[in-house]
Amino acid sequence: MTGAAEVRRHHVGPTSEIVAGAPKLVSVDGHEVGVFRVGEQFLAWRNVCPHHAAPVCRGTVAGTNLPSKVHEYLPGRDGEILQCPWHGWEFDLLTGEHLAAGSRARLRRYPVEVIDEQVYLTLPANRA
Amino acid sequence: MITGRAAADGSPTQFKVFDTDVHHGPWRTESLFPYLSEVHADRLEHYGFGGGGVSWAYNGGSQGYRTDIITDRGKKNYPGVVVPDPEVCRKELLDEAGVDIALLVGGGGEGIATAGPDVAYTNALLRAFNDYSVAEWLTVDDRFRLAIAVNPQDPQNAADEIDRLGGHDQVISIILPCGSQRPYGHPFYKPLHEACVRNNLAITLHFGAEGSGVNPQPSAAGYPTSYVQSRLLRPAFYKPHLASFVFDGVFEEFPTLKVGMIETGIAWAPSFLWLMDQNWKALRPQVPWVKRPPSEYVRENVKFCSQPLDDPEPKDGMAKTLEWLDGEHTVMFSSDYPHFDWDEPQETFKTMPDEFRRRLLWDNAAELYGVA
Repeated sequence: MTGAAEVRRHHVGPTSEIVAGAPKLVSVDGHEVGVFRVGEQFLAWRNVCPHHAAPVCRGTVAGTNLPSKVHEYLPGRDGEILQCPWHGWEFDLLTGEHLAAGSRARLRRYPVEVIDEQVYLTLPANRA
Repeated sequence: MITGRAAADGSPTQFKVFDTDVHHGPWRTESLFPYLSEVHADRLEHYGFGGGGVSWAYNGGSQGYRTDIITDRGKKNYPGVVVPDPEVCRKELLDEAGVDIALLVGGGGEGIATAGPDVAYTNALLRAFNDYSVAEWLTVDDRFRLAIAVNPQDPQNAADEIDRLGGHDQVISIILPCGSQRPYGHPFYKPLHEACVRNNLAITLHFGAEGSGVNPQPSAAGYPTSYVQSRLLRPAFYKPHLASFVFDGVFEEFPTLKVGMIETGIAWAPSFLWLMDQNWKALRPQVPWVKRPPSEYVRENVKFCSQPLDDPEPKDGMAKTLEWLDGEHTVMFSSDYPHFDWDEPQETFKTMPDEFRRRLLWDNAAELYGVA
C-alpha cells in the first residue's frame, strides 16, 4: 500500500537558481528532468520529446503566434512555450501539451513543490 | 437501392454515376465565331488561341482519343482531345455507359488560352467558349453540367464571368488548369474565390497548360522529353495548388469553398496529406491561421478523382490507398471520356463493397458539387 505520506522529495535547488527561460536540468531515478520557472510557477518536464526523443528541455523558451486571421500574426504567450531543438515542435510549458490541434503528444510532468524558497520534485515512494 | 438510368440494353445500372471529367468542345474553331466579336473571330481564325502549347508530339490512342469512338468528321482544327458532338456524348456516355450526370470541363483551345499573354483576348475566348457550351451542350440534355472556363490571369474578370453564368442551373463549377503563374490559394485570386463562394460554384482543377505560354516550366527539372514522362509529373502539378489552398488559409476564410481535383489518380494523395500534417505540426506558428491539421481541411473541402485509377502491384494496394485517403469520403469517379485512357464507370471499384461504390460513383461528387 502506498500512502500520500510516502512520497520522496528530490531537492533541485533554491528558487533563485531557476530563472525564466533557463531551466535547471537534474537527474532523477535515471531520467533527466528540466525544471522551469514560468512567472511565479515552477514546472518540471522529463527531458525527452515525445516526437523523436530529443532533449526537449534544451530547446528554446519563447512565445508563439496564436491562431489568427489569414495572413495576420498575433504573437503571444511569451515565455510559456518550449520549442524542441529537433524538428521544432512547440510545447505549452504550463500543461505540457503539443501546440497542434488534435495532437495527443505531451511532455511527461513531474510534480514540483516549493518549501522555504527551495524547489523539490515530488516522486513516488520506492517500491519495497 | 438507388439505381441509375437504364443502360443501352434496357437493364438498370446498379449505381447512379456522377462523371466529373468529360471533355467537350467543338471540332473546329469556327464554332466559336458566333460568340466572338468580329475582331476576335478574325484573330482566332488567323492566329489561334494565343497561349502557345507545348506538344509532347504523342498522346495515346488515336490523337488522344479512344480508337473505338473517333470518327472521320473531316479536318479538325480545334486543339485538344474533346468530344465535339453532344449527341454522340449523350448516346455513348450517358445512355450506353450509364452516366447520370456528366460534368463538362472542356480541355482544348480554351485551356491553352489561359496561358496567353493577352488577357483581354483570353477573356473573350473563354467567354465565347462558355456561351457555346451553354447554348450547344447544356440545352441538349439535362444530364450535362458545366464547369465554366475562367481566366486565372485576370481574377476580377473571372469573378465577373462567374457572376454572369453562376446562376444557370447546370453551371456547377469553374475549371482551372494546373499550369499557372501562381498557386491557386494565393491572395491574388481572392476575387475568384469570393465569386465561387457567392455563386456556390466549386473549383475544379485539371492538369493542363503546364509550361505553355506565360506559365512556368512544367517541372523544376525543366521539360520532360516524352508524353509518358509528362504523365508521371501529374501529381506534382496538383500538389502546389493543394498546399496553397490549405496553407494560404483559403478554407479558413471560405469554409464552404469546394475543390475537385480531377484526373489525379489517388495513390499519391495519402502520402501528401501525411507530409502536410507532419510539416504543419512543426511549422504551424509560421502559418497560425491554419488552425487544424491540413488533412482535416482537405477532407472537408477537397475531393480527388479516380481516373486514371492507380494499379498497385500489391494486391491490397488499392484497398489500403482508399483506406489511408478516407476514400469513402474523398474520392469521386471520373471517366475522362473520350480520351484513350478512360475508365468505364460500371467497371470501376468493382471489387469494393456496394456502399463504398455508391459513395465513390455518386455521393461524393454530388456532395462536392451540390447536386441533389
